[in-house]
Amino acid sequence: MLKLNRKTVSVFASIALALTAPAFAAEKEIKVKGPSFKERSIDGAVDYKVKNGTYAGVYKVNPQRDKIKGFSYGRTPTANEIKASDIDVRYDWQGLPDGKGTAAKGDELFNKHCSMCHGDFGAGGKGYPPLSGGEKSSLKNQLLDPESGDEPPHKVIGSYWPYASTLWWYVKTGMPFPHPMSLTNDEVYSIVAYLLSVNEVQIDGEDIDDDMVIDKKKLMKVVMPNVDGFYPDVNGKDGALNMKKFLSNPQNYGTQTVRCMKNCEPGEVVHIKNSLDEGIIPPVSEKRDLPKEKKSSGGDNKYAKMFEASCNSCHGNSAIAPVPGDKEAWAPRIKQGKETLYEHALKGFKGMPPKGGTNLPDADIKGIVDYMIEKSK
Amino acid sequence: MENRIENKTEQRRGFLKNIAASVVAAGALAPVSMSAKDDPALIEEPEWGKKLGLPVDKYLYGVPSPYEHNVKRRVHKLLSSGDMYASVAMCPIQDLEGIITPNGLFFNRAHGGVAIVDPNKYRLIIHGLVEKPLVLTLDQLKRYPSESRIHFIECPANGSTGWRAPQFNTLQFMKGMMSQAEWTGVKLSVLLKDVGVKPTAKWVLAEGSDNSHMGRTIPIEKIMDDAMLVWAQNGEALRPEQGYPVRLLVPGWEGNLNVKWLKRLEFGDKPWHAKEETSKYTMLTPTGKAVRYFWPMEVNSVITHPSPDKPWTDLKKGDLVEIQGLAWSGHGTIKGVDITFDGGKNWVEASLKGLVLPKAWTRFSYIYKWDGKPIILGSRAYDDAGFVQPTITEEVSKMGVEGIYHRNAIVTWEVTAKGEVNNVHVRDYKKERESIEKMQKGAKDA
Ligand code: HEC
Ligand code: HEC
Repeated sequence: MLKLNRKTVSVFASIALALTAPAFAAEKEIKVKGPSFKERSIDGAVDYKVKNGTYAGVYKVNPQRDKIKGFSYGRTPTANEIKASDIDVRYDWQGLPDGKGTAAKGDELFNKHCSMCHGDFGAGGKGYPPLSGGEKSSLKNQLLDPESGDEPPHKVIGSYWPYASTLWWYVKTGMPFPHPMSLTNDEVYSIVAYLLSVNEVQIDGEDIDDDMVIDKKKLMKVVMPNVDGFYPDVNGKDGALNMKKFLSNPQNYGTQTVRCMKNCEPGEVVHIKNSLDEGIIPPVSEKRDLPKEKKSSGGDNKYAKMFEASCNSCHGNSAIAPVPGDKEAWAPRIKQGKETLYEHALKGFKGMPPKGGTNLPDADIKGIVDYMIEKSK
Repeated sequence: MENRIENKTEQRRGFLKNIAASVVAAGALAPVSMSAKDDPALIEEPEWGKKLGLPVDKYLYGVPSPYEHNVKRRVHKLLSSGDMYASVAMCPIQDLEGIITPNGLFFNRAHGGVAIVDPNKYRLIIHGLVEKPLVLTLDQLKRYPSESRIHFIECPANGSTGWRAPQFNTLQFMKGMMSQAEWTGVKLSVLLKDVGVKPTAKWVLAEGSDNSHMGRTIPIEKIMDDAMLVWAQNGEALRPEQGYPVRLLVPGWEGNLNVKWLKRLEFGDKPWHAKEETSKYTMLTPTGKAVRYFWPMEVNSVITHPSPDKPWTDLKKGDLVEIQGLAWSGHGTIKGVDITFDGGKNWVEASLKGLVLPKAWTRFSYIYKWDGKPIILGSRAYDDAGFVQPTITEEVSKMGVEGIYHRNAIVTWEVTAKGEVNNVHVRDYKKERESIEKMQKGAKDA
């Protein structure tokens, strides 16, 4: 027994020794083999198949799966149902509805619905994405050293977006952020005209001035300055095949095919200079202790929840709107009296849209305003 | 031999029992003074041995031990587009074991908040270039023959704060924009047999029913290959953060393409060019041109133990310790992982452990005897597609530092003599700058 123990120990010790001094592979480089182009799927990946009832060599598959068809679940949608669902606008303008607008009208709408987050003229500065103010020539900028004072590339609508169709589609279905799908088609035409004009995008070589009427025909003439700024081409007849060609060759994007094993030259060790750890919420901790009791902030009431759902997108950010609990910001407002605050919340006031853009009943809006006041006293 | 061991164990058990009994007796009746060498956790009766535990009906849907409250998703203002409705909550991958992410910890990226869709009003509509357009309710969809697959989902912006220099000293914020689950649903190629895709259909628009109406274009080849409509993760319904009740699963591809709260599939002859495939999720390169539609997540790996969050500060010089981590590739199956102790000059092979699945996290392991000296640890994965994880300089020399997405360069940890672990880069800035300038110049001349 004792003898056996000793033997185990010594074997173990010799393994341990090997572990401290890693045995280097004999080769300097090892090439990793992959499938041929033909054997790859559309993304350059290995094209796994079902073989002997097993997928990719690991998952068993019911062999009936690939033979049977004729499940008759569901039903055919009505023409109306398809029309209501089909809200996209493709790059070739398929799906763009009729309508018209002007940049002047768009300016007004933008100030009412958008500038509180995207800044005046969409120039940014409020923490939300900027929508204008970039040069296409900046796209080649590379800020390798943040302390160099070099400019990074500015990727905004005018400098970067390849298609204006995307702008129409996204403003219609994604903005304004707190309540999308609330703008009429004409309003979207106007806002798009405005955003194109502040980005100095031209139509047929002409600037978009305030009163130029932008309708479907006119908008479809827009060619964005950076339309050729993207590769591979997927719109032509080869379609996704060009992606396959690109993705199958890792050299195109810096990934390798060879493992360097010995005397490689990766460079120097670089430590963290500008740490972002401070901003992590909550701070990172590996402690296993009991959580501290949280004080109830009265946040459980009905109006607190409604505030969270309908108002917090603006009123949670002091760059946009007064945040409940910020006594300094609220004191002068509360001074105006409850009735004025109700009125402003219901009918709108400067950057504050009527009812915050919701269609909540008046009583609920008032309830939320009470909650906001209560929190800010 | 076996008998003898058994006997020994039994003897030992009896011995321990006697000690325990005498300690309890002593503790209860005549407390013995504990010596400095004794651990009170062993001498004293543990808290829950002296009272009732929780009733079994306390949590009818269970929660983790309160002691694990620090294992949670975390956020950072700089990683948002303005507020916490267009932002990401990072997965604490440093605290995960094995290859499955518990549903409550799965990373959470939203472009217009997390929608809580009513399953009774849920409809999936399939139309466009198909023989038979279709509407399905949730229950009808779930009637189709189901399959379960284990795949990671990774946001292509994972690790994007590291293009220029290291900036975070926690794994959660370096690589926490990914998680892995077992997904259950129906393969689209099975469902679509009944719909009948027209030969002219080359692309599919997948659209979500959230605030952003997330729309993404997928080529028909992927739809017919391994794409699925999934309604379950890790054995239960999808979480709202993961797209309840139904999301698209495109194994191995950018997280954003796995459209959540899926409500519509439209088949077309051209791609769409949505906001998330033009303004965002495209990779600007030093030539001023951008790569569009970069689908798969490239081969990648990171050492999770040790890491800044899991240091070796408790190790003694000469201790044996397991180095382990995660490797993954959207291009295929992990074939192997190499480890370096000198910042990438020399490499040795680690072992894979556990399940090795296509387009899935795979654990690797290396048992090491640490002599207490500083080292620079790193891992490098390779896959069966023939692809090898690049060094930082190899990647940056090709892509520059402004691409935001698809950063898969080797991660290195500095282990200090005290066992502290720091995120460091090993790179050759001069070489990177030269390559970038060459590309910029080439683009000007062209
Ligand atoms: C409450 C703040 C808020 C308001 C109000 C708002 N937006 Fe936005 N906007 C955002 C956020 C957040 C995003 C980024 C969403 C994401 O991450 O996908 C965004 C993105 C955009 C983008 C895409 C930017 C890019 O470069 O990718 C456009 C265009 C846009 N908004 C236009 C508008 C317009 C037009 C309006 C008014 C009708 C508007 N927004 C109102 C918050 C807002
Ligand atoms: C799109 C952004 C936005 C949303 C959504 C929004 N608000 Fe506001 N709100 C503002 C801005 C901006 C102001 C500040 C206006 C000013 O004084 O310039 C404001 C001000 C207010 C005020 C103070 C008015 C005053 O006279 O000082 C109240 C009360 C208010 N909002 C209530 C609400 C309520 C209730 C909701 C939700 C139902 C809501 N808001 C949603 C942007 C918003």
